[in-house]
Amino acid sequence: MNYDAIVIGAGANGLATAHYLARAGKRVLVVEQHQTADPSADIGWVPDAVIRDLGLTGAGLRIETPDPWITAPLPAGGTLELSRDLGRSVEALRRISPADAAKWPEFCERMRTLASVLERLYLVPPPDIESTDVRELARIAGLGLYVRRRGKQIVIDLARILPMSIAELLDDWFESAVLKGLLGALGIWHLKQGPRSGGTAFNFLHHHAGSPAGVFRPPRSNVTQALVGMKGVEVRRGARASVLAKNGRATGVVLEKSGDAILAPLVVSSADPRSTLQPVAIELDPDFSRAVSNIRARGIVARGSLALGSTPYATLCIAPSLDYLERAYDDAKYGRDSASPYVEVQRTDGRVEVHVQYVPPGTHGDLAQRVAGILKIQPNQVQLQPAAESLYHGELTLDQILFMRPVPGWSRYRTPIEGLYLCGSGTHPGGGIPGAAGRNAAREIL
Amino acid sequence: MKQYDAIVIGGGHNGLVTAAYLARAGKSVLVLERRPRVGGAAVTEEIFPGFKFTMFSYVVSLLRPEIIRDLDLPRHGLHILPLESTVTPMENGDYFAAWGDHDETRRELYRHSPRDAEAYDEYGRLMHFMAQAVKPILGMVPPDPTSFAPSDLAGLLKLGKHFRGLGAERLHALVKLMTMSSADFLDEWFETDVLKATKSASGIIGTFLGPRSPGTAYVLLHHYMGELDGVFRAWGFAKGGTGAVSESIASAARSFGAEIRCDAGVAKVLVRNGRATGVVLENGDELLAKTVVSSLDPRRTFLQLLESDQLPSDFVSDIKRFKFRGSSGKVNIALDALPSFTCMPGIGRQHRGAFSISPSLEYVERAYDDAKYGEFSRRPYMDIVFPSMIDPGMAPPGKHVMSIFVQYAPYHLNGGWSDAKREAFGDAVVNTVESFAPGFKSHILHRQVITPLDIERITGLSEGNIFAGELALHQLFFLRPAPGWAKFATPVRGYYQAGSGTHPGGGIMGASGRLAAMRILKDGV
Repeated sequence: MNYDAIVIGAGANGLATAHYLARAGKRVLVVEQHQTADPSADIGWVPDAVIRDLGLTGAGLRIETPDPWITAPLPAGGTLELSRDLGRSVEALRRISPADAAKWPEFCERMRTLASVLERLYLVPPPDIESTDVRELARIAGLGLYVRRRGKQIVIDLARILPMSIAELLDDWFESAVLKGLLGALGIWHLKQGPRSGGTAFNFLHHHAGSPAGVFRPPRSNVTQALVGMKGVEVRRGARASVLAKNGRATGVVLEKSGDAILAPLVVSSADPRSTLQPVAIELDPDFSRAVSNIRARGIVARGSLALGSTPYATLCIAPSLDYLERAYDDAKYGRDSASPYVEVQRTDGRVEVHVQYVPPGTHGDLAQRVAGILKIQPNQVQLQPAAESLYHGELTLDQILFMRPVPGWSRYRTPIEGLYLCGSGTHPGGGIPGAAGRNAAREIL
Repeated sequence: MKQYDAIVIGGGHNGLVTAAYLARAGKSVLVLERRPRVGGAAVTEEIFPGFKFTMFSYVVSLLRPEIIRDLDLPRHGLHILPLESTVTPMENGDYFAAWGDHDETRRELYRHSPRDAEAYDEYGRLMHFMAQAVKPILGMVPPDPTSFAPSDLAGLLKLGKHFRGLGAERLHALVKLMTMSSADFLDEWFETDVLKATKSASGIIGTFLGPRSPGTAYVLLHHYMGELDGVFRAWGFAKGGTGAVSESIASAARSFGAEIRCDAGVAKVLVRNGRATGVVLENGDELLAKTVVSSLDPRRTFLQLLESDQLPSDFVSDIKRFKFRGSSGKVNIALDALPSFTCMPGIGRQHRGAFSISPSLEYVERAYDDAKYGEFSRRPYMDIVFPSMIDPGMAPPGKHVMSIFVQYAPYHLNGGWSDAKREAFGDAVVNTVESFAPGFKSHILHRQVITPLDIERITGLSEGNIFAGELALHQLFFLRPAPGWAKFATPVRGYYQAGSGTHPGGGIMGASGRLAAMRILKDGV
């Protein structure tokens, strides 16, 4: 069988690319190293364009919209619950801080406006600031004008807030430690930075993209499962594939166990840029290789599941203050698991999943016991898989986004190897937006 | 009553530069300084008989060459003596040394890592180039990207062209420098920890950030922009201390006809019908002027010298939000003999340069951790120099002065600063030095410990921030000190700002003072 394209990885981005290519008439093979699909939920905004283009609703896509979207224990007992309805959140906040309650609607509106700018940037390739092409320059000017037309304040907010730390941003607005803790957690999500590190306000807005005003947790969905169930592409599971290239051109992939080569003129990888490019390093120039090896993608999160029948909440956040998060980060800075980690429990589709941060690579000793202790459950109810590398294939810091992602100058999903493209979360717009990179890459390829 | 063309509030180096440029253009100018001597944070004082100290800032490098030229400062006594080396003692008794002789530094680095010795030249070239690329921005009034005024659009276009002209590789390096932590940035180049620690230290100076905090790579570059006689990255002492820099600018200003009055603190700026008309002194005297210029930091310029109803409320909240968070202290010591460091025993040429107490990245990062939670660093980062080794006039014959810049000492210390806390901080500094130079303590004749609170009380810099406002990305360029008001004018007509709290910011640079003067002259006094 001859293929026009081989896609490496059957995650949301790989499958999205594959289906876009298939719809354009290409014969596509997807190779996936894992035998069975990961049952855990996809976390993040699935852009409407992807849902529409690929007909995901008909394929059984379910997006959860838990309400209240977060529950956080209060130090004096009881919980703070924030709802999708701004008014109800204001009521809940009033019980812990009238001042914060009063500012909540305006804060939510300002953040929503800023996130909407990111949403617009995320569904197109990043602006190429070095380009001399008139069309690209016109496109950049158009983006600039779009932002500027939305008002002066948004330009100021973008310039001021994006490089800020989430702690500074939240200290500007709020006084309640619990509120700042649960919002601050989104700023450090999947990042080896603490809430007092610059750029975490950007990370916060990144993860707000796609959510309505006043909801600061990305939606959860079954988008990968929906894509797996769709017809139109062939998926071969249980074999890890490496790129084959010759004379600067991609020629196909080789399967690791069997050694079988499958040839195709186009190879698209949703695996992380470093492991994709490593087997063909000999074809790359040293500067590019150095840039790839410099991608910061440090593992810092353990995800897993809890053996609990159900929970009284949809999302439980254990991040009682910004200082709590900062101290959790201090441990990771020196290579240790957080003594008191940030823990978030998410109930999805009958499963109970958990996110634990910071968990740098190393030995994790009594991590499960500590998490169990924090959640007041038994250690054998906690199953955790610490990630050796960033689950986003590259941390979302200001020097690794837009035209700097995955490496400076190569943000258009291409690589120096002709016929080899990238489409995973290591590319623009990055992790936490399943399908967006896949869609952008496919459109760039086509 | 005499009406001056301009009254400049504050006789620090920026205020003096503004005054000198205005006077040079033929304006009648009066400088008002609260303290008995000019200089602000750039002063030399004889704290103990016979021992002269550069109380606060202690090295010179960033002073703009065009100012030295325009004001003919060497004729007014400016004489800069080069500071040649930096030695970093390590915890294991070894050291890392960067010497004035480039080849010697490379040989030294080779001892630690041949790979780093190779990368060192390339890194140096890149930073040199980046500093040159950013230099034009230091001399430019920041265009306002929120404005549709033709001059702003033209400025933005010019800026865009300038950056695109750098070429892809350098443009990417610039983005990295603007956004990364100095530790991450240096990790891309080097493997020797002590080298990275010492280099990253210049990225934390004056900030409330650690070497692993994003944003510190910019401060690294800011300190790379130093230029003496056209040589980049050259640091030096002014003969007679940094006070001599201030004195030379004051002398230049006087030679152009400016009047400088010390012991004349300003209480309020007089505003009539939305226009500044003069100032009221602390003693109640009123002085009139067509233009009033404040070289104080933004908090004092707007929130202390004006009434809040004289300013738009959005602007007041922007200024209130402007961050200071002083993080550094200074310990000045009179010595009867120079200390010998374990890593390089004896007294020698190493004492003619700096000692950097930054043995590892983890050491500096832990020093920051203490400050993050409101304590001074138990084992702080320090930059130590012996000015009397280079300028013998600073101490009596055979004796020495030692200047220790210390970080971190947070302004907002848990429980607040007290005399006991100040001494405890001084002890932490002295004991840490002692651990690298045993016997050092026995040579101490006197010591003066300066906390951020002392810096604020003596110089007036809010929260003791040595840059008159943190050099954080969101407080630079068109956001310094507030969006829409980064061009030296203020919402009050006839009232201007000229201090380090405006673009391009701190260090003994003088660029803010110069740009402010040009703006005032352009507006017509």
